[in-house]
Amino acid sequence: MITRKAMLIDVSRCMACRACQVACKQWNQLPAEKTHFIGTYQNPPRLSAKTWTIVNFIEPEEGKTRWLFRKQQCLHCTEATCVSICPSGAAKQREDGIVYFDQSICTGCKYCVESCPFRTPQFDPLGGTVRKCTFCLDRVLDGLEPACAKACSTGAIVFGERHQVVQVARQRQEVLSKGNPGEIPRIYGEKELDGLGVMYLLPERAPLYGLPEHPRMPIDKVIFKWAVGIIPGLAVLYGLWRYLGKERPSSKKQSEA
Amino acid sequence: MEHIIWGIPVAFDLFLAGLGAGALLIAIAADLFGGRQYERITRTGAVIAPWPVIVGVILLVIDLGRPLRFWELLFRRGPGFLMFNPDSVMSIGVWLLTIFVILSLVYGALVLFGWPFTWGKKAKQGVGMIGLVISLLVAVYTGVLLASTANPLWNTVLLPAVFSVSALSTGIAAVVFVLSFTHIYGARAKVDPSIPELEKINSRVISLELLIVALFILVRITSPSLRMILGSAYGLLWWVGIIGLGLVVPLVFGIKGKVRKPQTSVVVAALVVLGSFFLRYVILIGGQI
Repeated sequence: MITRKAMLIDVSRCMACRACQVACKQWNQLPAEKTHFIGTYQNPPRLSAKTWTIVNFIEPEEGKTRWLFRKQQCLHCTEATCVSICPSGAAKQREDGIVYFDQSICTGCKYCVESCPFRTPQFDPLGGTVRKCTFCLDRVLDGLEPACAKACSTGAIVFGERHQVVQVARQRQEVLSKGNPGEIPRIYGEKELDGLGVMYLLPERAPLYGLPEHPRMPIDKVIFKWAVGIIPGLAVLYGLWRYLGKERPSSKKQSEA
Repeated sequence: MEHIIWGIPVAFDLFLAGLGAGALLIAIAADLFGGRQYERITRTGAVIAPWPVIVGVILLVIDLGRPLRFWELLFRRGPGFLMFNPDSVMSIGVWLLTIFVILSLVYGALVLFGWPFTWGKKAKQGVGMIGLVISLLVAVYTGVLLASTANPLWNTVLLPAVFSVSALSTGIAAVVFVLSFTHIYGARAKVDPSIPELEKINSRVISLELLIVALFILVRITSPSLRMILGSAYGLLWWVGIIGLGLVVPLVFGIKGKVRKPQTSVVVAALVVLGSFFLRYVILIGGQI
C-alpha cells in the first residue's frame, strides 16, 4: 500500500542555521547564486530556479530584535494548483503525494508560477523550464528522507508517513501550549488544501510567516469567471442583433447628406 | 523587473487575441443579423480577424521558456494523443486559439471566394454560427486566464468581463479603422454608411465597458497593487490614456452616429485600439510589480 509522505517544519525549533539550504543545494546539485544584501540575514533574498528552499528571516516588530524563522519550500499540496492547471501535463503528483515537474515535458509557459497560492515554482531562464523542490524524490524512492530533513541540526524538520508526522505535530503542539497558555500553536497544513505535504507548527499567526491565512486554489469557481465574462458579450450580441437586424433606409440618406 | 513573469509578449497576445476575436464577431454578426446591407463590414472584419491572432500565438510561443517544445501543449505521448486539460484555462486557451485561427481563415475564404458556389452561402452561415461562439470564448478567455491565477489584482470575476467587452469594441474599431483608411486612399466619393453605424454601435459597447471598468476599480480599490498603479506614472496612462482618450472620447464621438471625415474616424478608431492595448498592458504589468 502506498502511504502519503509528509514533512513537519517545527518553526519553534528552527534556529536558522541554514544547513537545510546547503544540503538542498548539494544533493540536487544546484549552483550558487550571485546574491545581495536585503537588510536581513535572509540569503539568497528569495526562492529561485536554483534555490528550492530558503529560511525566511522575519522581523515582525519594527525596531525590535525579534526573529521568526520559516523554511520556505514547495508544500506539496494535495489539492495542488500547479498539477491541475499545467497545460502540458508536466506537473505531476505521485500517489504518495509528492508533486514534481517533469523537466522533459515542461514548456516554460509560467502559468504555474503565476498560479501557485504559495508562489513556489520558479522559472529558470537558462533551461527554459519551471523548477522547484522535488521532496528529494530520488532519495525518498530509496527509503531515505529528503536532504534538508537529514541535515537539520535541531530536529525542526520531521519527515515520514503522514499520519505519523501529524502525531508528532500534535505532541509538539501540546508541549508548546503548556509553556505558553495563551495561544495554541497552529498545525498549518493539516487540513488546508485537503492536507499539505509540508506542515508547519506555527506559534504565531500564519500571515506573519508570509503564509496565507486560508489558502485556496485560485482556479476555484473559474466557471463563474467564464460566465461573468460571457454575459456582457451576449448582451453586446443581443444589441447587435436588434440594431443590425433592422432595415435602414435612413443610412443611405445619411451618407449622401 | 525580476518579478515580471508574463511580460510584453503576453500583453500583446491578450490584446491581439481580443482584437481578432472582436473583428470576427462583428463580421459574423453583420452577416448573420444584417445580411447584404452590411457586406463591407463582414468582408473587412473577416479579412482582419485571423492575422492578429496568428501574430499573438507566435508571440506566445516565442515567450515560452522552450519555444520548440510548444507541441507539448497540443500532443502527448500515450493515450488520447491530443493534450487537453479541461482544468487548465491555458490549455483551453491553446485550443480556442488554434480553432479560432483555422475557423477564421476558412470564414475569410468563404466570405471572399464563396460566392461562385451554391453551397458557399450555407457554408458561410454555418461556419459563422460556430465562429460566433468561438470568437466570444476567445475574447473571454484572455480575461479568465489572468483571473484564474493567484495574482490578487487579477483574481476577480470582473476581469473577464472587462477584457471581453474591450475585445469586442477593439474589433469594431479595427474594422472602422480599415474601412476609413481604405476610404481615404481608395478615393471613394461617399463615406461608407457602415462607418457611422459602427461608430454608433461602438459608442454603446464602450459605455458598457466603462461601466464594467468602473465596477472593477470599485471592487478592487483596496488592493495595494491597484493603488500603486493608479498612484504611479501608470496612473496618468490609466486615467488620461486609457479611460479618457481610449474610452470617453470615442464614446462621445460616436454617440449620435453622425457622418464624419474619414480622417477623424481613423484617429478615433486608433485611439480605441491603442487604449485597449494599454488597458491590458497596465493590468498585466502593473499587477506584477
